[in-house]
Amino acid sequence: MDKRPKIAAITTIYHKYAHTQHIVDRFLEGYGWNSRHHYPPMDLVSLYVEQVKENDISKDRLERFPTMKGYPTIAEALTLGGEELAVDGVLLIGEHGEYPSNDKGQRLYPRYEHYMEMVKVFENSGRSVPVFLDKHLSWNWDWAKEMYDISQSMGFAFMAGSSLPVTWRTPSIDMPLGTSVSEGLCVGYGGVDSYDFHALETLQCMVERREDGESGVKWLQAYRGDSFWNAHHEKLWSRDLFESALSRSHTLTPSRHGFNNPFPTLDEMKEIVKDPIAYQYEHKDGLKSTMILMNGLVQDFNFAGYIGPNQDILSTQMYLPMPPARTTLANFFSPLVNNIEKMFLTGKATYPVERTLLTTGLVAAGVDSLSDDEAKIDTPHLNISYQATEESTFWRT
Amino acid sequence: MKRIAVITTIYRYLSHAQHFADRFLVGYPKEGKWHRPDMKVVSLYVDQKPEGEQSEDRAREFGFTVYPTIAEALRYGGDQIAVDAVLSIGEHGDYPNNELSQVLYPRYEFFKECVKVFEDDGRAVPIFNDKHLSYNFEKAKEMVDDGHRLGFGVLSGSSLPVTWRLPDVDIPYDHELEGAVMVGVGGSDPMDYHALEAMQCMVERRKGGETGVAAVQLIDGDEVWKAGEDGRWSLELLEAALSRSDTPCGLTDEDGRTQNLIGTGELYKLVDNPAAYFIEYNDGFKATLLMLNGAVRDYCFAAKLKNEPIPVSTQFFLTPTPNVTYSACLIAKIEELYETGVAPYPAERTLLVSGTLESCLKSRHQGHVRLETPHLNVQYRAPEESQHARR
Repeated sequence: MDKRPKIAAITTIYHKYAHTQHIVDRFLEGYGWNSRHHYPPMDLVSLYVEQVKENDISKDRLERFPTMKGYPTIAEALTLGGEELAVDGVLLIGEHGEYPSNDKGQRLYPRYEHYMEMVKVFENSGRSVPVFLDKHLSWNWDWAKEMYDISQSMGFAFMAGSSLPVTWRTPSIDMPLGTSVSEGLCVGYGGVDSYDFHALETLQCMVERREDGESGVKWLQAYRGDSFWNAHHEKLWSRDLFESALSRSHTLTPSRHGFNNPFPTLDEMKEIVKDPIAYQYEHKDGLKSTMILMNGLVQDFNFAGYIGPNQDILSTQMYLPMPPARTTLANFFSPLVNNIEKMFLTGKATYPVERTLLTTGLVAAGVDSLSDDEAKIDTPHLNISYQATEESTFWRT
Repeated sequence: MKRIAVITTIYRYLSHAQHFADRFLVGYPKEGKWHRPDMKVVSLYVDQKPEGEQSEDRAREFGFTVYPTIAEALRYGGDQIAVDAVLSIGEHGDYPNNELSQVLYPRYEFFKECVKVFEDDGRAVPIFNDKHLSYNFEKAKEMVDDGHRLGFGVLSGSSLPVTWRLPDVDIPYDHELEGAVMVGVGGSDPMDYHALEAMQCMVERRKGGETGVAAVQLIDGDEVWKAGEDGRWSLELLEAALSRSDTPCGLTDEDGRTQNLIGTGELYKLVDNPAAYFIEYNDGFKATLLMLNGAVRDYCFAAKLKNEPIPVSTQFFLTPTPNVTYSACLIAKIEELYETGVAPYPAERTLLVSGTLESCLKSRHQGHVRLETPHLNVQYRAPEESQHARR
């Protein structure tokens, strides 16, 4: 591309610590990268913000960065007020803001609606450009699949997902490409239809690198509260992997007064974690994966898996420098923005959106299982196979 | 099973003694496992016992004995040394300061009492000494010399050299360095000590190995910025170090934005009283520690490698309180010392940093003058294998 790409940002809300702020600010203000304060070689020229509340900072950003203009509709943001698509890349950030929830507890962020308005402009213009969509594609599986299918049929580069797959790791390791994996597990924290997605992406970005690649998922079952502890007791997931994941945490809640970092006993864990949640699922090739949310016990995301012929344990933490308690900057957005930049410059996604299509379906299936008395949910629709990229895409430089 | 004597100033929640000794009692995270050392704390000496301290509780629960003297702790109640290793934690507790604002922790005194037992009983065991060896270089040197003279392993220093790095990088071994800048925060001394040792664990890997420090100077205030403009320290390396920070203050605190702290000039508004510690080495290499309270809250480093256009930079990752798992990284090194009898990296690093800090503080005390430091002629080679957490 011989000129600087023009980028549009379509967002729900722009306030301190909203995903819009983390992502769009990095395009405007630059960010620390490879020993420099790096400015993306592209211009964020248009901004659509659906909700402007008292905590809004989009006005400040529009004033300080006059090359970026605010538009009242998505179509205008994409056409820059003209007739046709006039940008070279689109950021869709439908996270945060006041939106209703459904009876399953899913927040109805308008990612699908924003996406479809964008697609209308693409269609009317006879042209499409690369798109990044923050977090999972939609709360609704059918919509997510439709979004994916449209990207395929129109042929534009499409990336989505969480920062977890691309942030720092301690240790800084990846799943060796093509190794056999017999079980994978992630211990994280947070709520249903929110951080469960991050934990699923943490797990998926590792196991997708296994022998023969990702094959899709056959079924999922959720466990919560007492049934979680029963499943743990019955070793439905490996205790050793669970312990290994916890041993990667930097935030284990001390289980004993006066000690700063003891390893909790099972009884102590039950005292600390009032509402444990697991989604366990089987991939088509037989791999068993388990996503665990241990609210109260940890505040980080930790992966462990059995790999290779000797069933060695590979484990790491996907580290989130999370403000405001530990940092001031949510710098896990820096590698995410860097990957997005690469897509905007090359027209190619740096990792497959099929990962996020799958994790979107896993979140929906997890929510369904939880709202259906933890029933085992068959997932023939998650027949999603793909190959991971050979090169690692997490932050390590 | 190795038997350990713990010698400490104070044992209370979140003191270094509690962080360190507890990990030998309840285990710690190591390479993706909860590791329980095959070692036993058998005796404890604690210098100060204010209300709420934990030494007796720990002794009761874990079956060791608190002794009234260091010699008795090492002899474990008998008349001969009866332990295989010493964990000496002279940090925290109520001790006076000197005119250089150094806290006069009795690390040297603790160490010399151990050495006396070693000499009297005819057997010496490895000692880990937490943080700098002593506030005073002569004392610190005597400690390291005792180790060589009696043939026991001495490991010392901060957790920063061994904690996780973001990114996981090290200085390529024996590579020529053209400059280094370390950014630190916190009070002086203790936190400038941590920052200096973090810087030293990187620059000691340079071509030819460590040659010792020829001169130091500590300046503060606007002179620091002027020295940067004059090229006495590298703005490029400061930008590289700051590019690794997760904690810029000011406008980032206000609305979360990323900041080019140098480019926008915010840096100069945020830091009330910057300080620069200039270190000139015997081989001509120069490195600078910038203490930038108010600008950031983490510890970041950058160095220029000869023939490499992009500086090497990283953050020394101080993991969150209360777990402070960075201290677990150091415990793994202490365990290695106790198992093998050999320090995984030389105490000369800590000796040099102890003396460098003392001379920097003297420079400040004497009106920020440049001080030649022929006594800091401490030469050593770092191990080629990286020692920080990366597995």
